Amino acid sequence: MPTLPDRAPCPPERRHGGPGTILKRRVAPVPVEAAVHPVVVLAAVAAGAGLLTWFAAGRSKRLGPAPSEGRRYAPRGSAVTASAAQRLNHASSMLAASVLFDSGLEHYRGQFFNRAMYTPVIVSSVTLASSLHGAGDTDPGSSQVRHAAQALAGLTGLIGFCFHAYNVGKREGGYSLQNLFYAAPIGAPMALTLAGLLGLAAERVRDADPDKPRLGGWPAGRMLALATAGMLVGTTLEAGLLHFRGAFQNPAMLVPVTLPPLAAALLVRAAGQPEGASQVGAKWGMWAVSSMGVGGVAFHAYGVARMMGGWDNWRQNLIDGPPLPAPPSFSGVALGGLAALELIERRRFRL
Amino acid sequence: MRPRQDLYPGYDVLAKRESPSWNAKTRAVLDERLAIGPETHRFFDEAEWPTMKAIATRIVPQPADRTTPVPVAALVDHKLAIGEHDGYRDAAMPDEREAWRQGLRALDAEARARFGSRFHQLGAWAQDQLLRLAEAGGLMDPAWQGMPSKLFFKHRILGDVVKAYYAHPTAWNEIGWGGPASPRGYVRMDFDRRDPWEAAEAKPGREDEAYAENLRVGD
Amino acid sequence: MRIPGLGNAADNPKHGTPGDDPEHHPRARDGRAPNVMRIGDWVPMRQHRDEDEVDFAIVGTGAGGGTLACRLAEYGFSVVAFDAGPYFRPLEDFASDESHQSKLYWTDERIVDGENPLQMGSNNSGKAVGGSTVHYAMVALRFRPDWFKARTLMGYGADWPIDWREMWHYYDQVEDDLKISGPVTYPWGPHRRRYHRRAHEMNAAAKVLARGAEAMGIYWTPTPLATLSAPRGDAPPCVYRGFCTLGCSTNAKQSVLVTYLPRALKAGAEIRDLAMVGRIETRNARATGVHYHREGRWRFQRARNVVVAGYAIETPRLLLMSATPEFPDGLANSSGLVGRNLTVQGNQAVWGVFDEEIRSYKGPPSLAISEHWNYDDKGSGPFAKDFFGGYSYMSQGPLPQLWASTQASAHGLWGEALVAEMQRYNHVAGLKVVSEYMPQERNRVTLSDVKDRYGLPVARITYSWCDNDKALNRHALKFLRQALEAAGGREVWDQGDDTCHLNGTARMGDDPSTSVVDADCRSWDIPNLWVCDGSVFPTVGGVNPSLTIQAVALRTADRIFATRRP
Repeated sequence: MPTLPDRAPCPPERRHGGPGTILKRRVAPVPVEAAVHPVVVLAAVAAGAGLLTWFAAGRSKRLGPAPSEGRRYAPRGSAVTASAAQRLNHASSMLAASVLFDSGLEHYRGQFFNRAMYTPVIVSSVTLASSLHGAGDTDPGSSQVRHAAQALAGLTGLIGFCFHAYNVGKREGGYSLQNLFYAAPIGAPMALTLAGLLGLAAERVRDADPDKPRLGGWPAGRMLALATAGMLVGTTLEAGLLHFRGAFQNPAMLVPVTLPPLAAALLVRAAGQPEGASQVGAKWGMWAVSSMGVGGVAFHAYGVARMMGGWDNWRQNLIDGPPLPAPPSFSGVALGGLAALELIERRRFRL
Repeated sequence: MRPRQDLYPGYDVLAKRESPSWNAKTRAVLDERLAIGPETHRFFDEAEWPTMKAIATRIVPQPADRTTPVPVAALVDHKLAIGEHDGYRDAAMPDEREAWRQGLRALDAEARARFGSRFHQLGAWAQDQLLRLAEAGGLMDPAWQGMPSKLFFKHRILGDVVKAYYAHPTAWNEIGWGGPASPRGYVRMDFDRRDPWEAAEAKPGREDEAYAENLRVGD
Repeated sequence: MRIPGLGNAADNPKHGTPGDDPEHHPRARDGRAPNVMRIGDWVPMRQHRDEDEVDFAIVGTGAGGGTLACRLAEYGFSVVAFDAGPYFRPLEDFASDESHQSKLYWTDERIVDGENPLQMGSNNSGKAVGGSTVHYAMVALRFRPDWFKARTLMGYGADWPIDWREMWHYYDQVEDDLKISGPVTYPWGPHRRRYHRRAHEMNAAAKVLARGAEAMGIYWTPTPLATLSAPRGDAPPCVYRGFCTLGCSTNAKQSVLVTYLPRALKAGAEIRDLAMVGRIETRNARATGVHYHREGRWRFQRARNVVVAGYAIETPRLLLMSATPEFPDGLANSSGLVGRNLTVQGNQAVWGVFDEEIRSYKGPPSLAISEHWNYDDKGSGPFAKDFFGGYSYMSQGPLPQLWASTQASAHGLWGEALVAEMQRYNHVAGLKVVSEYMPQERNRVTLSDVKDRYGLPVARITYSWCDNDKALNRHALKFLRQALEAAGGREVWDQGDDTCHLNGTARMGDDPSTSVVDADCRSWDIPNLWVCDGSVFPTVGGVNPSLTIQAVALRTADRIFATRRP
């Protein structure tokens, strides 16, 4: 019979097999040696996948100052579509980054109990790399690798949604509010789908006729405006559910459930207006939602500080407190909205 | 009966002492408790002390090869010496301190009457025999002075000795309890989940993994 | 990283332990009282001299006394509230340790007898500013409306002199004051306002209850708890450390200590800690003040009104100890009912072993509940009801000392059997009832010949179950066993002897001959003597009493204000 643990930790009898015996950790989700934490392995894999995507997507051809000294190859139309595509890639990057860190954190909380929980971390890393690549690509013209990566993200998000919906339903109490609060967050995987959709849109816009860009047979600007409006509403629902769980204890928690629907309404209005019309109001709305997403991180950081033990107790509070990576998903969607407005206005703009 | 096992190999709740799981007050309280040595006694006199130790050994036996056993008798002594009370007593019982003195005297008297020597000199079988009789209320020697042996066994022996043992970190290690938890509490509360700062249970054939995990609870 | 004045003060675990000793030296003095939300901090406190005749002297600062002190002070009365226990600052004084935290309990001597002697101390009695709410399990349930007319509508016990709709109003108020975290919709009883915070995440032990209830075909719900699920001012949300019944060291628990008492101080009330009241002085059938022991000597505080709020043992003890030639049987005792009808609640449990790791030490002990048997009066088949009253049952999370004691005293294990069984600690889950026992006059509190350290007679507490109580116990244990087994529990065993909560020793009613106080908690015999705690309950219902005690206290304050002489 093995001995009882004493106050000083000592290894079980049978481990005295000789010096240098390497402990195999079979409890770990992936069989790795005890020296390397599984989270480190995951981070390395995700980063590697991202880098691979980056290089696979090829070198971007920049329309730098040099070519523009001579003849301008890019007519106004293609400058707008390329710029809008880049902005869509910004949006997709933001969402993918949000998903990368959020799913990493939340699935770390869930201890990667199911191997499938690694998927969003790796896929969002691929998406992020692909979107960042596209964001730096001023070339009008799509990349097949990026296109494929974004499609993968869109699909992964949908599958994740099904997984989460199944997880909620099988809990005691089924599809109750209690489980919507605390089981796998049902809306969260959709953020990855949104990243994929916006990334896909970016590639399609690059390919579209610069003078009359269309998406799925509809005018690209209007189509995107309506789509991002819908995305804003969906993200609001998610934030609303979780802020309701937090009982809106801080009045600032009301902002993400009021401002984005207003901005979405402006987008819908813009979609109904003729091309070329100025969209100053809607653009302000998008910038407001964008900055709210970034500011939300600061609010959430303050929320973590308000938990017992504050930041000293980060191992608990980063997970149990308000999620730091979540709010930027609003910024991502709002940037998508800006791209839509750019296409509607038929005009590049810079902040 | 299931045998006692090394279910949480390598787990030491004291490894978390400097982690956010312990606050200053907890450290102070546990330091004081851990300073109590196995022979520290202020309440029990020299005649009572060996009897007390023998009872503690039978109620919460400890592995023979444990290098620093939990000082159970000394912890009981400490409670009585500082005058800590339960807050109630059965009408048939004297107060805690008096009950212990009477009870230990009576157990010794019973041991002499039945086996011819003092309680602590008896073998484990005979000691258990006497304790079982006390548990059933079957000890009636005049030395009990009217105190029912059943109540003495239930309220004093079981009450005080068991609590003393499970007030010690070594006992917490043995059962895989998370130990002190403030300001840091727990995150993962579902079935079969544990936080990295909780004891990992050894599953059959996978003791090494639990051991490796348990070395990290204080990180 | 705390924004000064905005975040919580509990985020620095590196602060040292305090230098003073609140258990032996009063903290509330010199014009200040402890700021319970900050380490080493103080708040100003208005103070009164003993010879000043204050409007209210309140004995006890728990669910009844503390809540009442707050509201009376907010109404503008001058209030001095006494508590025999220390004034703790949870952040600095509470250790994560079962033994040490017994400092929260009333451990002065008491004598128990009867056929089913009660366990006192840690089980049901607090001795600290904030009373038992400092170590209660925070279960915040409302009475079933019918219970307020138990005699008329259900045929047992006695009617309350208060209408349930009025109580519903005060429940709303206390739930708001405590920011109860509860389910969005509550499955039983008439409509109630939505809880102010969402229910907490459930631990595995609570999910065991849910599985069992679903298997048995009855409703369950996350328990409404008086601990925060989202921050509130200086208080952070619960971190699920699991030491709730040993004092919350984070202030997430909304005890009277951190809710009503800070408000009371702000409104001008004075709180005297380590002040044991030993006698109420009366002259010409009116209370004139209280004798209390503080800082080594007996003193006398003059008061226009005296409120006794010492919970169902100390309240009758004080009334009986204050006997005079004018009131030879004790104060407010013309009915002879002071100390009688002591009514506790059943606290039986079933425990079982699970294949999964449960680790019920995480989170508040009772995260899920079923009140089915409080609202189903008939039952059917093997669970047909053959008794009056009902019960709720909850998940549990005993810490090692308590669990070992339970295994030893209720399961009869010691020696190798005990230490081996204790190793299954992380695989155990249990279900525990809070059940309605019948009020019986033979269950009572009297004064014994034994004297305590103040020289006051020690309370003798006599308790025996009646046949109805035993029938209820049988039903509950049978049902719980089946529910636990249905949830996957193996080797299920019954813990049959436990009780909890204390009520009924100064019951309220409409008739001076059958009750001690009226609906406003004013004693029938002495118009300026009040009782405000669980003692006034004519019946106890099958839910934890604290929320009802607090609702009654809020009502009492309103009634006192409404009937004051201008």
